[in-house]
Amino acid sequence: MSTTLALAKREIAGLFYSPIGYIVLAIYLLFVGLLFSLLVMRPGAIADPGPMFQWNHLILIFVVPFMTMALFSEEYRSGRIETLRTSPITDFQLLMGKFLGAMGFYCVVIASSLIFIIILSLFGRPDYMTVLTSYLGLLLMGMLMVSIGLFFSACTQHQILAAMSSCVTLVALGILFQAISFFLSSALGVSWSFLRTLRHLLRYLAIEPHMANFSRGIVDSQNIVFFLTGAGLFLFLTYVVLESRKWR
Amino acid sequence: MSQPAEIVAEQLTKSYGRFLAVDHISFAVPKGAVVGFLGPNGAGKTTTIRMLTCFMPPTSGSASVAGFDVFHNSLNVRKNLGYLPENAPVYLEMRVAEYLQFRGRLRGMDRQSIKKRIDEVTELCWLSDRKRWPISKLSKGYRQRLGIADALLHNPPVLVLDEPTVGLDPSQIRETRKLIANLAGLHTVLLSTHILSEVELVCQKVIIIGRGQILAQGSPEELKQQCAQRGSGTRLVLEIRGPADQIRSALAALPGVDQASVVSDNVVCTIELVGKIDGSMRERVAALVQQRGWALREMRSAGASLEEFFVQITDPGSAAAA
Repeated sequence: MSTTLALAKREIAGLFYSPIGYIVLAIYLLFVGLLFSLLVMRPGAIADPGPMFQWNHLILIFVVPFMTMALFSEEYRSGRIETLRTSPITDFQLLMGKFLGAMGFYCVVIASSLIFIIILSLFGRPDYMTVLTSYLGLLLMGMLMVSIGLFFSACTQHQILAAMSSCVTLVALGILFQAISFFLSSALGVSWSFLRTLRHLLRYLAIEPHMANFSRGIVDSQNIVFFLTGAGLFLFLTYVVLESRKWR
Repeated sequence: MSQPAEIVAEQLTKSYGRFLAVDHISFAVPKGAVVGFLGPNGAGKTTTIRMLTCFMPPTSGSASVAGFDVFHNSLNVRKNLGYLPENAPVYLEMRVAEYLQFRGRLRGMDRQSIKKRIDEVTELCWLSDRKRWPISKLSKGYRQRLGIADALLHNPPVLVLDEPTVGLDPSQIRETRKLIANLAGLHTVLLSTHILSEVELVCQKVIIIGRGQILAQGSPEELKQQCAQRGSGTRLVLEIRGPADQIRSALAALPGVDQASVVSDNVVCTIELVGKIDGSMRERVAALVQQRGWALREMRSAGASLEEFFVQITDPGSAAAA
């Protein structure tokens, strides 16, 4: 456990040492601020930060890949992977250390948006329980996003390739699937049962509907299961990639 | 050499696709010895080392380090191993002491002993005055030393150093060699290098590898002898004042001399003898020269250096001829 935490600590520190960490933080704050001022902070509106959380993933899908791209790629490229893998740590500890480290930084990033909750509370009385469930949603969603980023970082020694692959995957989950399912339901009228199944599937795989529940204060096991199984799947795939050196 | 072996490789093989990088090599490193792993670039040194340090699995064959199998018991191997990879890759954004602390934590050491060992290894590797420095600001030589300090941190019984003196300046190279020589007895050291003098100075045993195979192994002296026995390895160079032709024919008639040739003839002539050169040969040459009344100015054996041997056996052309 302590080795895992040592790895995680180094990973968080690494992100704060590099300019990438601060750029990620700045861009995130900029766009959350945009969401906040366009959707939440309107004259006469009720003090509901919900929309800011419901559409938060649209920012995160472009931000998280830059947080996670270096996790393994940079170790491969610099050769440090050799010092890591010849240390007495298991692949599982290595994986968990990287994952927890990235999650730690992710928590710092989403916590930075608390500033908008504070601003909101100066003008009104937001429902703090809803804010809490929203952050729970963001945390669970982050586990899925970070594990996807981790997986692509473990696949290549090129950071940019890792960032692009995870970005494409996240865009599919965050935007594309929902857009297609919306198109299927409205334009085609969905009479064909195959298309209906496809529409349901795509809608289930899209991030937004799951996140929307959390942002409204609903904690539904279906949404929790979606994020956790997704994260578990990609963590498992990453583990397989790491283990693959034993039979390659 | 009666000590039990700390590193054992048996029929170790690694192929990358169809390219055979390491071809069924077997060797043993006795406990407490410093063994040099010598070979030209691309001979398979690093690949072998990577298999021994559990970085990559062998295609076939087996190896054990500190009594543990590298494939089935790799965690225990890695606990007992200090490894300096080629180019000593480190986290550039960390500070020296911070990095060593991180490495100590990875090896499951407690804070107290990490602190104590950091002081010891930084002292040992001449890094004490750089402890607070960011690694990115260190020169190549200092980074290399940091890598060695890292390998020594948990005081492992086995050390594997891949080209430890690369990038160091001459005085640092000398100090590093001294350091490695001092480690003998306490640690078992496998040292890869392509610098021959390094091996001659610090190693008790040498393993020469080329094209993925072991070409020769033994102590530096044994290898020199082996080289002499191959014939072409040893030459006796003489500087004698006297008539060159007479000297040459007289020397050529000596038993054991295969060939005598005049290298230069300028009042003092230099003559080179090729053959089975041993102690008594030199005495017979000296006696002959004295008996004839010529003046012997110099006599030295040339070419018995490891360097010649190394070039000879790693060169594909001569290997085919041998």
